[in-house]
Amino acid sequence: MLKKNKTKQDPVLKDHQLTLEVLRLRYWQLLVNEGLKKKEFKIPIHVALGHEAIAVAVHHMMKSGDRLVLSHRNMAYNLIREGSLKPVYNEYQLLSTGVAGGKLGSQNLANPDAGVVYSSSILGNNLSVACGLAYGNEVLNRPGLVTVLTGDGGIEEGPFYEGLVFSKSLQLKMLIIVENNNQSMSSKIEERRCPISLSDMCEAVKIPFRSLSGNDVFEYAPALQSIRALAVEQSTPVLVEAFLTTLNHHAGPTSGWPTDPKNVSLENGLIVEKSSNDPVFVLQQKIDPFLFSELSEQVLGEERTG
Amino acid sequence: MASYITAVNQLIAERVAAIPTLVLYGENINNGSHISGLTKNLEVQESGRILNVGNCEATHCGFGFGLMMSGVSSVLFAKQLDFMLLGIEHFVNTYNFIRSHFPPNSLGSFTIVTLICDQGFQGPQSSTNALGDICSLARVPGYSVTNRQDVRYVLATQLGKPGFRFIGLSQRLFPTEFMNLETVYVADDSSVFQYTQGSDVTIVCFNFSLPEGYALHEQLSRRGISSSLFSVNQVPKQNWDAIKKSVGQTRKLIVMDDSKSVNLSCYALLHEIEDEFPSTQKIVVTRETNIDFGVCPDNFQIDHDAIIARLGTRMAARR
Repeated sequence: MLKKNKTKQDPVLKDHQLTLEVLRLRYWQLLVNEGLKKKEFKIPIHVALGHEAIAVAVHHMMKSGDRLVLSHRNMAYNLIREGSLKPVYNEYQLLSTGVAGGKLGSQNLANPDAGVVYSSSILGNNLSVACGLAYGNEVLNRPGLVTVLTGDGGIEEGPFYEGLVFSKSLQLKMLIIVENNNQSMSSKIEERRCPISLSDMCEAVKIPFRSLSGNDVFEYAPALQSIRALAVEQSTPVLVEAFLTTLNHHAGPTSGWPTDPKNVSLENGLIVEKSSNDPVFVLQQKIDPFLFSELSEQVLGEERTG
Repeated sequence: MASYITAVNQLIAERVAAIPTLVLYGENINNGSHISGLTKNLEVQESGRILNVGNCEATHCGFGFGLMMSGVSSVLFAKQLDFMLLGIEHFVNTYNFIRSHFPPNSLGSFTIVTLICDQGFQGPQSSTNALGDICSLARVPGYSVTNRQDVRYVLATQLGKPGFRFIGLSQRLFPTEFMNLETVYVADDSSVFQYTQGSDVTIVCFNFSLPEGYALHEQLSRRGISSSLFSVNQVPKQNWDAIKKSVGQTRKLIVMDDSKSVNLSCYALLHEIEDEFPSTQKIVVTRETNIDFGVCPDNFQIDHDAIIARLGTRMAARR
């Protein structure tokens, strides 16, 4: 078994950094979910099981000066950017030792020191704010990409369209990531609206469009690095539609009630669903099974407090 | 003498030229009529920008808050307060986030300078005249400027200051001669301006009613009645001390508020006066409750003679 006290300089760990981060992110989120089951929090919390691959890839894409603008389901990004569970967990418990001093909670959690400057719980709100941040970079002649997260619900809001037009008109260095989890609260896309082709929308305003699917962090990480280069070098917004599945309920704990058919438990290990919907399951399929077990055991053996 | 809009435009041009790294933006700010003359001849320093932007007001408002978080100061010029209703979500939610987390001195300044269509005949959808309501909802300051002194003071102290505020201009006043009054007192936060000092009556004007209040002051003067004339802006945590001091002396209060609102800002003042000086004679002049939602003159009707008559009876009795 790999020892806990090995550092990131360890060649084995360095080689498996992406794997470890996906596993750690999964573990931390499962711990929050267990805390939700025990009613340890007063605030609404949106767990993001299933979002690990894109979150870790964004984390690895970001360079010094880059900034992240998030939505209400920001847990995966905040955890990976902070690199530790405890300050985030404490924030959810509204403690002064929380990452934002217990003042922002979960839906609006930001962490400017880690590049997370804004999180909005209002769908469609954050694109225009991201535009301002990106234009601020230009005015101040600062390098850096602004990445803004929204979802298949957020793109239904008018300001999403406005943000595309506005960001392209000003040639802003922005990455717009649409996490398409086919879920807005409890309704699927087909239950609430017509299909929206983001590819066609982007074509209409000449914004480069990319699509990511499969939840494979080894594919996502280099893809986002190329996309970042495109946005920065050509000074343009780029839109990425990332298809994923949120493996937990919209908010609160999963399971959410005694007869809830959806069962998520740390007792079942780090894999929540044995399908390509689960980035951890995808990882397991990609790497040596023994190495996966060893790295999983290592993560599970780490201090719960991060 | 210059007209209101010509003079305000010149004062804005002077002020924005003095602020480094300032972004000025809005629809048609550097072409056409320049928003009815509001944004003519604007220049910024080399590090600043002037942006003519598309028709997406909600995005304009979020954009300003993003710049603010970047530490960049900006001014959004808007053709109508009506359009800014599209940005209300940002004034409340986005700014609440910023205020809850960012140290004020790390922020850029964000000011919205907007025309308010109070000139009448605009139609059902272009005559919003309730800056105080928006400011109250967002808990932000809003300055309804009417004359050379309050424009200069508000621009000097608020434009470029970290944080967010509105500066509203009355389109009704655009062609009129720019009022040039002496100030007796100005609150540090630009919330209260006092223009005359009198011992008989206290006149307090809200929103854009100062011209009407000044006309009343003049009529009273001609009758030998001296009045203290105040104009009040919508600022959170209002400090009414200067007004209360005057009312404590005159015990006669005339309040004017031309806002088209149900919850008028002046009610807060009236409540405090009632508590502290219950014997005060109060005359409240507002718009009629049943406003005309269609195309209409939108006049703020004031019957000076009736007001003076009401005052005169009591004053004669007192003397």
